[in-house]
Amino acid sequence: MDGRMTHKTYHRNKTVTIFFLCSLVLLALAGRLLYLMVFQSEYYTQKARELHERERSIKAARGRIIDANGKILADNKTVCTVSVIHSQITDADEVVEVLSKELDLSEEYVRKRVEKYSSIEKIRSNVDKAIGDDIRAKGLDGVKVDEDYKRYYPYDSLASKALGFTGGDNQGIIGLEVVYEEYLKGEPGTILTVTDAKGVEQAEEGEERVEPISGRDLYISLDINIQSYATQLAKQAMETKEADRVSILVMNPQNGEILAMVDVPEFDLNNPYTLPSGMDASAFSEEKRQELLNAMWRNGCINDTYEPGSTFKIVTAAAGLESGAVKTTDTFNCPGFIMVEDRKIRCHKAGGHGTENFVQGTMNSCNPVFITVGQRIGVERYYSYFRQFGLLDKTGIDLPGEAGTIMHKMENIGPVELATISFGQSFQITPIQLATTAASIVNGGRRITPHFAVRAVLADGTDSQFFTYPVRHNVVSDETSATMRYILEQVVAEGSGKNGAVEGYRVGGKTATSQTLPRGSGKYIASFLGFAPADNPQVLALAIIHNPQGTYYGGQIAAPVVKQLFENILPYLEEKSYNRT
Amino acid sequence: MDYSLLFIVLFLVGFGMVMVFSSSSYEANLELGDSTSYLRQQLFASILGLVAMIVVSNIPYHFWERFAMLAYVGSIVLILLIIPFGHTSGGATRWLYIAGVSLQVAEVAKLGMIVFLANLICKMGKGIQSNKGFMIVLALAGVVAALIYLITNNLSSAIIVMAIAILMLFVSCPDYKRFFMMGFIVLVLAAAMIFYVVQSAEAHVDDLDFRGARILAWLDPEAYASDTGFQTLQALYAIGSGGVLGKGLGQSMQKRGFLPEAQNDMIFSIICEELGLFGGIAVIVMFLLLIWRLMIIANNAPDLYGALLVVGVMGHIAVQVILNIAVVTNTIPNTGISLPFISYGGSSVMFLLIEIGLVLSVAKGIRLKDL
Repeated sequence: MDGRMTHKTYHRNKTVTIFFLCSLVLLALAGRLLYLMVFQSEYYTQKARELHERERSIKAARGRIIDANGKILADNKTVCTVSVIHSQITDADEVVEVLSKELDLSEEYVRKRVEKYSSIEKIRSNVDKAIGDDIRAKGLDGVKVDEDYKRYYPYDSLASKALGFTGGDNQGIIGLEVVYEEYLKGEPGTILTVTDAKGVEQAEEGEERVEPISGRDLYISLDINIQSYATQLAKQAMETKEADRVSILVMNPQNGEILAMVDVPEFDLNNPYTLPSGMDASAFSEEKRQELLNAMWRNGCINDTYEPGSTFKIVTAAAGLESGAVKTTDTFNCPGFIMVEDRKIRCHKAGGHGTENFVQGTMNSCNPVFITVGQRIGVERYYSYFRQFGLLDKTGIDLPGEAGTIMHKMENIGPVELATISFGQSFQITPIQLATTAASIVNGGRRITPHFAVRAVLADGTDSQFFTYPVRHNVVSDETSATMRYILEQVVAEGSGKNGAVEGYRVGGKTATSQTLPRGSGKYIASFLGFAPADNPQVLALAIIHNPQGTYYGGQIAAPVVKQLFENILPYLEEKSYNRT
Repeated sequence: MDYSLLFIVLFLVGFGMVMVFSSSSYEANLELGDSTSYLRQQLFASILGLVAMIVVSNIPYHFWERFAMLAYVGSIVLILLIIPFGHTSGGATRWLYIAGVSLQVAEVAKLGMIVFLANLICKMGKGIQSNKGFMIVLALAGVVAALIYLITNNLSSAIIVMAIAILMLFVSCPDYKRFFMMGFIVLVLAAAMIFYVVQSAEAHVDDLDFRGARILAWLDPEAYASDTGFQTLQALYAIGSGGVLGKGLGQSMQKRGFLPEAQNDMIFSIICEELGLFGGIAVIVMFLLLIWRLMIIANNAPDLYGALLVVGVMGHIAVQVILNIAVVTNTIPNTGISLPFISYGGSSVMFLLIEIGLVLSVAKGIRLKDL
């Protein structure tokens, strides 16, 4: 065979050996494949899915805020977000033309985004629904119009400081919006889409949707009619008295439900970042601007403290009566001043009130009478009543940032401090604290928690969750409470608060005029706290006018505000309760 | 004509075309604006290869004996030509441009080695059984393998060239001892290498070359997910997520930019993702059939020269399939190696078809009664 080797048996055997060796190895690899594709399949499938899936969230509709009459105070407006998906665009020029025209954007701006290779490019958000619908109706390939929610307040500035507003992600920033965030926000849904490595959605892979759960509607005790009227009165008082600020609180003293909370000037909830008119935002630094905004959003009824002045005599009187330090029939003599240690503290009536009993002393708002009562009670007992009335704690109102009471430490209260506290000076409390304490004293001695929220209800109207608030009983006895109602009714009927009287209704109340610190600045705070009906209080109102010009006596400028309010809302509330029963 | 072999090969080439299209079309459409771009090039190379195969199969195989030396020297010259004229793609210089067609020289060298050694071994006669003859064959193959490794930096092709030589030696020598020893030495060296790399990594030696890094990535691909382990991990995602039945032809997600150049070396992972465990096993079975058929032809070849040609082709295909699937399933460290007949790559499919042409020519000399 011309020098060639012949084909021998061992050659064949070895070829067969190679085949079997290869078969063995391939079998082993098939085993490896089995391991990867059956036993490890779940692991790698999960990993691959994480790699391929993109999650987009669907916003949940925020719960509405609804007043006592069912009027919607905070609602959602549907707005649109217009985006383009590069890979789906078929006619780029038309898309650029339509979008720039409809959205009022430059062609250049739109073209840059249309031509960018990305999974999805946002062109504009917060687009009016009508415009969004128009664009969608044109049916352009690659143009996506997503609906979104934007918070909307139908009454603009009404109750702005109580309601609060939401930020860019629809999250509460201040007010009830932030306190009830958990109820209002709902549960966002998700869209899971499959994308390629560059993030381009793979339409044929479909999408998985988890629907969002809308937030709960929050029903609050605030009454739009009372709030509107109180706001009107506050604005009027602010204008006529050229005051800095006017606050009006209206609450149900029986259960602490707040019917109105006004603190003018208020701000526009739909444009909460616009400074008050007359202020040019560009003139301020970023820091200063934020400071001004914070001041604008500040709720004077709960965030700020003030010296209450004579309205605090309600507390002194209640403590005096409860402790037995004073009786209504006790007589006092006011020469126009009283000596405390070596200091002469004057009564507001220069000539003095002469001889008067305790009821008359209260009607006259006589300082020497209350200083005497304070002295009779004594520092420790007086202080323990403060604690019992809840004056030293916060009220627990369902609004953020409530300020605490600024009171002397007990060991620091000397005779002079005791005297000034007796008629409401040298310490500070919030308006809501004063109103709540007064309410507890006249409602039979139940320390209630002031609040707005009544119930939170699912969007479909089912599953009402009622809110409950702590009530502390017997902070004063029934008897003391009844006496206080009688005395305060006398104050309005014939005393210093007679400008608060409303024909046909029994009104109780107390006036106050306090000079702001520093003394001698010529700035005053005039206030009046009234409640009706005096024998069974259903509504309690506190009006505070900060720095009025001209006449500054609470009895003359604040009492008429509450009087007008009561004239209007007492018949209204009667009608409402009649309708309810 | 051996129709069984022809059918198996045509099936693999056709299936390869389908899979090249499936795995490349998405990216090709995005990058080149033409989803059939890779398919058309593969089709062109395959047709060229099939024509060459038919031509070669009709030439009596002894015709190539006279070109044995030319095949060897020619391979070396082609490899050396890479130095001045090499074309770089994907960071590696492995191609020569001849008349507008790119040619991967390592593919030529594999065919050259088969043609050269079959002749050499026959010429050496019993001399091949001596240690001297044995070493001469190893050394001659070693030169080509070393050049491929050093000049084109293509370790897998170098390994395949050596493997072809060793398998042809194995068949032509009656003993087993030397081969056991060689196998043992290779295993020890591999183990030592892995041990060294792991030790260096633990000692925070940063100057490991990329092969060292690939060994580390092989041991724990997820720890090197962003660099060396990336391709392997993406292939594992593809394979693992295929499951038993696969996602369906064309439904791979990993080919959509996650697994880069899915139509190349990692195409088997896309087959697994789309066609599942069944598809993957079917491909392995198809290759097993091919190797079986090559064994039958080798063992019935009219003479040793024919048998050795077929054994060389058989070794080439078997080793390449095994290495490819082992790499894709992360059974061994990653080294760029394509899946015969299926992976995208003109030179590879063309020269493989020419090799099949040789085998068909050998098969023609078999009398029917032998089968």
